[in-house]
Amino acid sequence: MDTSKPAATIKCWVELYSDSMYSWALHKTSNKEMAEDLVQDTFMAALQSINNFKGESNPKTWLFAILKNKINDHYRRSFRNPIISDISIFETLFDSNDQWKDEHRPQWWADETGHLLDNDEFQQILQNCMKKLPGNWFSAIQLKFMEEKNSELICQELEITPTNFWQILHRAKLKLRKCLELNWFKK
Amino acid sequence: MQKLMNILMLSCKKASELIDKKSVVKLSLKENVMLKMHTSMCDGCKAYQKQSKILDVLLKHHLQKADETQIPQIINNRLKEQIISKL
Repeated sequence: MDTSKPAATIKCWVELYSDSMYSWALHKTSNKEMAEDLVQDTFMAALQSINNFKGESNPKTWLFAILKNKINDHYRRSFRNPIISDISIFETLFDSNDQWKDEHRPQWWADETGHLLDNDEFQQILQNCMKKLPGNWFSAIQLKFMEEKNSELICQELEITPTNFWQILHRAKLKLRKCLELNWFKK
Repeated sequence: MQKLMNILMLSCKKASELIDKKSVVKLSLKENVMLKMHTSMCDGCKAYQKQSKILDVLLKHHLQKADETQIPQIINNRLKEQIISKL
């Protein structure tokens, strides 16, 4: 690997890996513009630090490592910008006595979860419901479930309090649950 | 009657909050007891509790199974051109 011409090397890597990186970033952020920015930032960063790249290792692995760090930075940033619509979910679901409104009270779901894990149609509906979440709620779900890390560690890395974290998770789950009930379980 | 209930028991809003809080931090003894009392009497929250656990399983499966090769591959030539033009 001739890293004496950095721009040429990076250009080659863009041709080879950009689609794969974009697909991953889109899956992780659910936002086209953000995904494109993250991939572009990754290649710019790679250009800056190409001297740190050792020729023997796999460029794709190296690039993905940079990309994944940038995605985590994005999650961290999105926590710092709470969405104003955050609390309206409570007004939607609960009445003035803080009890479930009749039309929103959770109903029993038929016990079919085993089959759902491999059901492509359901997975697509789940993905669509997740896309409807505001940015930082989506990030919270990603972080909580994508790795086996415990929540304390996640909070430390993000520099947020556990309270902040579970409050956002709770809102995300309220909304997700409702979306799944409407689009799958009640059909 | 409703007011008395509100003093003695959690609201559904609070109960659902504790159900999800539990997956991140440990609840206090008092919180656990009050939650158990509420869910034993409230079908809606009992269902919510079960469904929250189902969601945990579904989300974990959905988000952990994907590595770079398992997600849909999208071609974005415009992005490539854009990046290359900036190099």
